[in-house]
Amino acid sequence: PVPAEAGRAPGPPDGGWGWVVVFGAFVSIGFAYAFPKGLAIFYKEIQDFFGTSYSEIAWVSSIMLATTYGAGPISSILVNRYGSRPVVMFGGLLCGVGMISAAFCTSILQLYICVGFITGFGLALNLQPSVIIIGKYFLKRRPIANGLAMAGSPVMLCTLAPLNQFLFDNFGWRGSFLILGAILLNCCVAGALFRPIGAGTAPAKTQVPEEGKDALKGKITEDGMDTSGPSNVTEEEGGKDCFEKVNQYLDFSLFKHRGFLIYLIGNVLMFLGFFAPIVFLAPYAKHTGIDEYSAAFLLSILAIVDMVARPTTGIVANSRWVRPRIQYFFSFAIAFNGACHLLCPLASSYTGLIVYSSFYGLAFGMVCAMLFETLMDLVGAARFTSAVGLVTIAECCTILLGPPIGGILIDTFGDYKYMFIKCGAVMVLAGTFLFIMNYYNYRMLAKEEKERKAKEEDPKSVRTENEGKNNWNKDSAQDGRELEPLRKEGEGVKKEMNGT
Amino acid sequence: AGFIKSPLSQKRLTQDSVELYCEAIGNPIPEIQWWFEGNDPNDTYAQLWDGARQDRVKINATYNLHSTSTISIANLTSDDSGMYECRASNDPDRNHLSKSPKVKWIRSQANVFVIERPEITTQVTEAAGKLVLSCNVSSPQSPIKGHKWKHGEKVLKEDDSTDSFTSYVIDGKREEHSGVYECVYEGPPEIRGQVNISVAPQVVAYKKSEHGNEGDTGVLTCKNPSFPAVTTWSWYKSGQGRLENASGRYIIKSSGNKTELRIHKLDIEQDTGDYFCNATNSFGSGDATVNLRVRSRLAALWPFLGIVAEVLVLVTIIFIYEKRRKPDEVPDGKRRLGLNLSIRESNATNHKDKNVRQRNAN
Repeated sequence: PVPAEAGRAPGPPDGGWGWVVVFGAFVSIGFAYAFPKGLAIFYKEIQDFFGTSYSEIAWVSSIMLATTYGAGPISSILVNRYGSRPVVMFGGLLCGVGMISAAFCTSILQLYICVGFITGFGLALNLQPSVIIIGKYFLKRRPIANGLAMAGSPVMLCTLAPLNQFLFDNFGWRGSFLILGAILLNCCVAGALFRPIGAGTAPAKTQVPEEGKDALKGKITEDGMDTSGPSNVTEEEGGKDCFEKVNQYLDFSLFKHRGFLIYLIGNVLMFLGFFAPIVFLAPYAKHTGIDEYSAAFLLSILAIVDMVARPTTGIVANSRWVRPRIQYFFSFAIAFNGACHLLCPLASSYTGLIVYSSFYGLAFGMVCAMLFETLMDLVGAARFTSAVGLVTIAECCTILLGPPIGGILIDTFGDYKYMFIKCGAVMVLAGTFLFIMNYYNYRMLAKEEKERKAKEEDPKSVRTENEGKNNWNKDSAQDGRELEPLRKEGEGVKKEMNGT
Repeated sequence: AGFIKSPLSQKRLTQDSVELYCEAIGNPIPEIQWWFEGNDPNDTYAQLWDGARQDRVKINATYNLHSTSTISIANLTSDDSGMYECRASNDPDRNHLSKSPKVKWIRSQANVFVIERPEITTQVTEAAGKLVLSCNVSSPQSPIKGHKWKHGEKVLKEDDSTDSFTSYVIDGKREEHSGVYECVYEGPPEIRGQVNISVAPQVVAYKKSEHGNEGDTGVLTCKNPSFPAVTTWSWYKSGQGRLENASGRYIIKSSGNKTELRIHKLDIEQDTGDYFCNATNSFGSGDATVNLRVRSRLAALWPFLGIVAEVLVLVTIIFIYEKRRKPDEVPDGKRRLGLNLSIRESNATNHKDKNVRQRNAN
């Protein structure tokens, strides 16, 4: 198969330096997700120091979370323009500066700005590029790489929690912020590992003999290496107007992409019920009479199961049987999550809650591990940069709404079970929605693939590279072909129904 | 005139207090008076006024739409037993000294029985890791219908036995269960005895080790959760003797169960060390140790600089490593399906029909 392969453009390495990049992404993603949660240890002391109420302090976390998710599109634009490495290093620097200046704050407002905005923005600049660069380095083993990288979040959380406690005991909150600022600078190290890589991804792997050279040109520019490559417009299109210029940096044409829309709606729905149970698990345990330490232990169980579940899910998702149908696996994971929550009110004893925590940890890990993998699968690595930005800003709203709505439910009814039922129902709904829509999507893709192959028999029909027109076909076809080399060695024009 | 409410007969123990309530209506509004007749055969009715019986009697009357009057007698003795009468009249001549009133005073009576408070002997014994609290009531005047043991508001034990002796067992030591306990004999009337478990102060520090920042204010706290409350608190510093309130930088605030030592403008050399809080009450004294550590303002600076240095070193190493590899263009050695690792390398292997546009990595 080597000669046949040699005819292809280089694909993503799927190994080698890629694993180092995964480690870097592990660190970066870990900080981005775990850091806001880890700060909660300092709140009591800061609250006493500034004399504010608890809800004012909690705003710091909310602002940080909102900025991390809301700045997604900006992050995407920057990555499209400059590539992953500079963005992550700048992000790490920004986080560090944010926390260091927070150490010298004299009012709660300054804390909002330093910790909330600046550090939150820095974390946003960390998160997106890390996920994006995995897509650039991996194809065959991408689910594993994603699973491993996402495992950074629980590991960092488990490390940060005792570390923060230790720092707080020894240095007080100001000193701890100073040191945490320095620790966040390590994100720059992680960023330095993100060695830029060439267009090794799917679109480049075309069937060489049939493709026009123009096609390749267009694809490779899309993959956007670190330098200028505007993501979806090829050089051949002259006279770009304003809209297309914007499109260069942030691909709004994604909103016409069927798979993307399905993902967006399903995920926005899911996040309404995703984080609330974690927030309320410990209070619920205490409410049923369990003491504080055992309640905290439940969260530890959750984190440990989560830690193991993510890489495992990655491996499972990479297997021959699951990879082509990874969207179904994702929907199943979401629905499983929902089912756990629906069954939670039945667990009233401590053992029951331990079982619930374990299953929840498993389900949570499964969903998180595949969160970005499925998006990559749907839109392809090329447009993933913009896609992830658009998705995170949409999720931002529901993520922030989820726990407060749960809180309102609890306060109104005085009973935690309605919150669990709401979360469970929302997630089961999201899972079912995704399942059905993806089934439809797979069928449409297969149909388009069939049509495309039929057209290609005709040598005259060179696929034009006008993105605007052939968006759907190209993307779906390109996604399909993404998986072709995975199927077997030769390039055969095999009609794979399962190519996403 | 007529009575809306009449006083009720009551049974009380000595040293208790009693309240009788009377309400009358009429036009014009009647006046209410209280009269008392003792149990002695020689006794006749005498009027009671506010402040009688060495100020043990209090009368509170209101005359709005109708008349109300409440008489309360505190610290009862057996001489207070007898018949209490509430008298009302609205005749304008009711108090005339020579004329007899046309309309007589209407009267309503209540009997008050004052029973000798029986002696309750209480005892606390400690044996084999258990504490036994016991009450014994001598010559109870009224039959006992049951017992109750209470600690503050909480009911510890209840039973229906008619014994004059009752006891309650606690597992543990005196020091752990100090406080005020009550044994209650159900009557009526209710007879209560108080059993105290008193110990010397069991002093504990809120936090054995406290931290403070240089120049800030440090707060050291000790508390005494046991009974009875502390009469005197004092603070000592090792090597410095007793610390006085408002001397230099020290402020001490104490209460019966807690004491707080505040040190202003912490100094690393002078203020670091062990502090002792000492508490005394009538049963002894106790103390606890608190260690204070003063952090230098720059304490966090060294780890900070260390980590920043580490980050710079790592980033430099990574970049140098990468620059060194660049001119080699040696593939990584791990090939999958013949895919090449980076675009520079593809040059070497390629592919005439490909217009792979060259992009430099940096």
